[in-house]
Amino acid sequence: MIKVTDVTKTYWMGEVEVNALRGVTFEVHDGEMVAIMGPSGSGKSTLMNILGVLDQPSTGSYTIDDEEVARMSESQMAEIRNRKIGFVFQSFNLLPRLTALGNVELPMLYSGMFSRAERYERAASALESVGLGDRLDHKPKELSGGQQQRVAIARSLVNDPTIILADEPTGALDTHSTEEVLGIFQRLNYEDGITVIFVTHEQDVADHCRRIVRIRDGLIESDRPVLSQRWVYQPMLNSGELGLVKG
Amino acid sequence: MNFIESFKIALTSLASNKMRSLLTMLGIIIGVGAVIALQSIGEGVVASSMARLTANGTNLISITPGSTSSGGVATSTTAATLTLEDAEAMADTTRITAAQAVAPELQTGGQLVYGSVNTVGRGVGTTTAYPQVRDLTIAEGDWFQDTDYNQSTTVVVLGATVASTLFPADDPINKTIKINRINFTVVGVLAAKGGNGFGSVDSQVYMPITTVQKKLAGNRQQGLSGTGKTVSDIVAKADKPDDVDLLISQITDLLRERHKISGTQSDDFTVVNQQDLLQTAKDQAATYTIFLLVIASISLFVGGIGIMNIMLVTVTERTREIGIRKAIGAKPFDILIQFMIESISICLVGGLIGVVLGVISSLIVNATVPSLPTQLSVSVIVIAVAFAVAVGLFFGIYPARRASRLNPIDALRYD
Ligand SMILES: Nc1ncnc2c1ncn2[C@@H]1O[C@H](COP(=O)(O)OP(=O)(O)OP(=O)(O)O)[C@@H](O)[C@H]1O
Ligand SMILES: [Mg+2]
Repeated sequence: MIKVTDVTKTYWMGEVEVNALRGVTFEVHDGEMVAIMGPSGSGKSTLMNILGVLDQPSTGSYTIDDEEVARMSESQMAEIRNRKIGFVFQSFNLLPRLTALGNVELPMLYSGMFSRAERYERAASALESVGLGDRLDHKPKELSGGQQQRVAIARSLVNDPTIILADEPTGALDTHSTEEVLGIFQRLNYEDGITVIFVTHEQDVADHCRRIVRIRDGLIESDRPVLSQRWVYQPMLNSGELGLVKG
Repeated sequence: MNFIESFKIALTSLASNKMRSLLTMLGIIIGVGAVIALQSIGEGVVASSMARLTANGTNLISITPGSTSSGGVATSTTAATLTLEDAEAMADTTRITAAQAVAPELQTGGQLVYGSVNTVGRGVGTTTAYPQVRDLTIAEGDWFQDTDYNQSTTVVVLGATVASTLFPADDPINKTIKINRINFTVVGVLAAKGGNGFGSVDSQVYMPITTVQKKLAGNRQQGLSGTGKTVSDIVAKADKPDDVDLLISQITDLLRERHKISGTQSDDFTVVNQQDLLQTAKDQAATYTIFLLVIASISLFVGGIGIMNIMLVTVTERTREIGIRKAIGAKPFDILIQFMIESISICLVGGLIGVVLGVISSLIVNATVPSLPTQLSVSVIVIAVAFAVAVGLFFGIYPARRASRLNPIDALRYD
């Protein structure tokens, strides 16, 4: 469970202070699937970076499984990013010199828990689970945007995280790739019980979650369940497969 | 994150920018290469001069005219204060008890001609005691006799190199050669003794000193002690190494008496013993080594600054990569290690290239310049490479720490 209490974030641009978050409080329980929406500049990325332990709040508390992040050392934070959280970026953020496989193996190199053979095995099956079993040796620039984003998702889940955080994961993708990504998220959430939180500007995309948190000017404006959740993933029809149906 | 992986990452990133890597390594390459090449030359020169000095026998002392001295070596040999009579007086075994043999040397340059063959050799006028003093072995014929000395006959003994140059095919014994246009009869040839260069015993010829005085050198300036004729120097051999000091003091006393030098006046001659020369050679070797170390340190320091510079550039260029690595769980230490390994790899690869170049230059010098024998030393190579690695470690720390301390989100935003 993650819990955000009265979190603020202030940036200083020389003398001018920018209050990106102005007291945000909310909880996300294990196994939830949440969309965060809000106008540009409202503080969504700022919040996601704090949730992903990439950045620290100015004030307020953030706990993951009752552990206060502010009290952690840099190494402990790195460990959280490595094991508990998978982060997916709008701009993919793959290492251009490594192949898809190399990129997906990377978090396992830092966790140091797997042998070489296990790393290969796990990375290959993660790529397979996002439908890229035949693209293992491609460099990022040899892949389409949707494929790159799926590599990034494979990378985020290869260390078996309990939470996946995604900042506009479909922002750079077309409808088809968007559906593929959403299908993967729904399957991870449904089958593996992974908590999924992502930012989006589009209502249709947000409707694939069970809960939508709206942010405006650094404050939570509303926090409501989705009444009619949309499904890309069809657990009954073809579980074990990619879980996609054509839109 | 394991080391082999980091090392691979480092090598790929070096390989991806070959020209820049090479330029970065240049300081290290030159530093290591120069140390190895220069050290091998220095070592070789020292070793061969030591070999020459010990081949002469450590019992040997030589007395040269003129006063001392810096480091045991006479600064001036132009003063003509030593005479043949001095040498004869030294041969008096009741007075000079510690000597096994004493012989004067009078040197003369000479053009040596046999038939149509023509060479330049150094002539040494001396006595029959000379082979014993210098440990020379006769290969053919004989050394000249006392009668030759007394009668100043024109006979000559050839060093091995001279003999083989003048007589590539013939037997030299009893042949007549011309030395400065005067006919000399060859009576003996020395066995080769090795050593190289112009001063080697193999490239000299030996004649009675009286002959040289009368026929070749012309009369030199009269010695201070009166009637005698001057000599270039006198060599004496002690009975055993322990007697060297005794021999030196006996000779000094004798010469001071003969030259009428009283109490506080300084000697008008210089006594040099081989052990002093050996010590001088060793001191010179030590100086050379320090000099080398200074050069090496400067060039490695400069190389190190180049590496620090390029690593800072690399860290800046790869800020985003660092951000990505941190975002997926790299600890500060992982990043630190990655960049340290990178700077160490640059230095290691540079050091190894330097070793190859240094060894090759040393071998080339060895093959092309006969007077500079080189001696490669494994320990110097190992130390040079270790130093290069240490440079990488030292100058890599600052950039690597900077990389490891980057805030992940700032690094990710960088472009
Ligand atoms: N590093 C920074 N320095 C200064 N101000 C910043 C920084 N990062 C964000 N801000 C400011 O904080 C506010 C929130 O930014 P944030 O990126 O969280 O918005 P967002 O909701 O993600 O917007 P978008 O939908 O456009 O991505 C903005 O006003 C932005 O200008
Ligand atoms: Mg944003």
